[in-house]
Amino acid sequence: MLSLRIAARFLRKSPVQSGLIAAGIAFGIGVQVFLGSLIISLQESLVDETIGSSPQVTVSSAAEGEPVTYTEVLQRTLEGHPGVTTVVPTRAYSAIYRQGDESAPLQVTGGELQRLDTIYDLSGRVTAGEASLEAGEVVVGRDFAAEFGLEPGARLTLVRPDGTADDETVTAVVDFGAAAANRSLAFVAGSTAAEVLGQEPDEYTAVHLQVDDVFGSVAVADELAAEPALEGLTVSEWQAENEDLLGALQAQSSSSYTIQFFVLLAVALGIASTLAISAVQKTRQIGILKAMGMKDRGAGRIFFWQALVLGAGGAAFGVLLGVVLILVFAQVGTTIALSPQWGFTGISFVVGVAVAVLSSIIPSRRTSRLDPIEVIQGG
Amino acid sequence: MGEPLLVAEDLGKTYGTEVKTVALQGVSFTLERGEFASIVGQSGSGKSTLLNLIGLLDTPTAGSVALDGHDTRRLSGNDRARLRNELLGFVFQFHHLLPEFSVLENVVMPGLIGGGSAATLRARAVEVLGLLGLDGLEEKNANQLSGGQKQRVAIARALLNRPALVLADEPTGNLDTVNTAAVYDLFRTIHRELGTAFLIVTHDRAVAQQTDRILEVADGRLVQDVRDAYVSPATPSPVDGDEATEPLPEASPSGGEEATEPLPEASPDGGEHAADEPAVSGPGAHEEPERGGSAHV
Repeated sequence: MLSLRIAARFLRKSPVQSGLIAAGIAFGIGVQVFLGSLIISLQESLVDETIGSSPQVTVSSAAEGEPVTYTEVLQRTLEGHPGVTTVVPTRAYSAIYRQGDESAPLQVTGGELQRLDTIYDLSGRVTAGEASLEAGEVVVGRDFAAEFGLEPGARLTLVRPDGTADDETVTAVVDFGAAAANRSLAFVAGSTAAEVLGQEPDEYTAVHLQVDDVFGSVAVADELAAEPALEGLTVSEWQAENEDLLGALQAQSSSSYTIQFFVLLAVALGIASTLAISAVQKTRQIGILKAMGMKDRGAGRIFFWQALVLGAGGAAFGVLLGVVLILVFAQVGTTIALSPQWGFTGISFVVGVAVAVLSSIIPSRRTSRLDPIEVIQGG
Repeated sequence: MGEPLLVAEDLGKTYGTEVKTVALQGVSFTLERGEFASIVGQSGSGKSTLLNLIGLLDTPTAGSVALDGHDTRRLSGNDRARLRNELLGFVFQFHHLLPEFSVLENVVMPGLIGGGSAATLRARAVEVLGLLGLDGLEEKNANQLSGGQKQRVAIARALLNRPALVLADEPTGNLDTVNTAAVYDLFRTIHRELGTAFLIVTHDRAVAQQTDRILEVADGRLVQDVRDAYVSPATPSPVDGDEATEPLPEASPSGGEEATEPLPEASPDGGEHAADEPAVSGPGAHEEPERGGSAHV
């Protein structure tokens, strides 16, 4: 590995130049890691906040207003799909809450607390009281409770769609993380909802699913729709109903990729130009080495190794810088759960090294083509 | 006598395509193993061009160079590099040491390029440096040396791979008279003890007279090939470039062979050249010693 030894020596003997290139790569990769981790964390947080606590795939009857019969075959089919993580059959209806002259519409969902928790995490979002959904009990959102001065233990009269009304006891007030949900969602026992809707025990308004990869919901929905057990049922997924959110997420990704691309381009141009200068500076040495018998490929490899060493070193420092920035940013006043994205960080490191190596192509070719006579004649 | 070390046949070099400049033409001569020869000529006469062609640093536009039996016309760039590394040692006017490396590292470099073992090469380099009186300077940076020391390091580097032929282009051009004499004494010593062939380009006739054979180049042609030109080292040898224009001295008393006669004007058809005749060893001579046959290196 004579080329590597010569490359290392050239780097060591030009510490300022080597340091500047490595710093350029480090800052580029650092920005890349920081920006990438920030955007991914933001998206994950946004997706978790908006999609994570709601069904990502919904199975309902094709005929409007008709219930879904939750048979064992249907249950096995849904729970057996590899992309599905959570299956929650629910009953839903609209109701109106009245207090004096004021009233508020509520979207009421009925089900077992344990199952509802797998999607809505009611127990984990309690701000007052203790979540419980036995018959005659209700869990309401924070804004709704605040607007009407409701606290755990309060009695609540809900007017059903058919005009009848019944009283429920508030067991807990929860924060869904979104004002609209906090104002309009309420949860009751499955039996209560079945009674309101006149449904049999195996009948539900819809079956709510969560999936392993939220952005893979389209494929899961398509695969489920093709299952014989779901004949006569409609399978919908969140992406079709949240185009604005999807568009925002994609725009965020695109802008992030654009910034990262130009950062990497700037890094690549910086490395290429500095290596090209270095190649010119070392022309005499390369010519002497060639006069002594170093072959073209060996001479060309000197700048390949320089780029590889600088790329690996610079990218390693860049990763460190990016991760430290993310950790500092996560500690300093942000409500978003920021964390280093290790997969992306690994890719950034590899990309940094690859960009550095690619940047060495021109100086390497120039060096391998150098005719020693040019140097020898030039003195 | 075995195969010649170097055979140059009708060698020519023309620069340019539209406006052609003939730097060398119709040069033919043979160099035997262990010869100690010089090429003299005025500045711009083509002597360095000739050395570069022989050293496989440049490619001829006419004729051929055979080194150690290898017809170099058919060789790829990498094969030429390999031959340079294995057969040749170079000493240039501007020493051309690598400033990033120590003296020892500079000296072992040709061996490392040839794929030799670092430990063996270091031991050999220390020995060669000792032979050249550079003990204790191994770890110094090349930039920390005097001009004479640098040139001796360059000589040590040229000798490391035990080359069959050392090509030296104005090796003392940047040195004072004391160092110049020291360098030629070293060349002589190495030649005598290691049997290495030398071909030294110089514009200085006094220097050339210290070699056994003088090839004179003028206007890109080989005009004289004088053997047994070596005069006693005790003979004063004023360094004066103007003297290069004077005719070469007749053969030394020990010579007297036809090869000492001035050559006829070299002709492009490669006509009759004394240089084509087998070289005759001069004083101090050498019965075709093997490459690097000395126990010293």
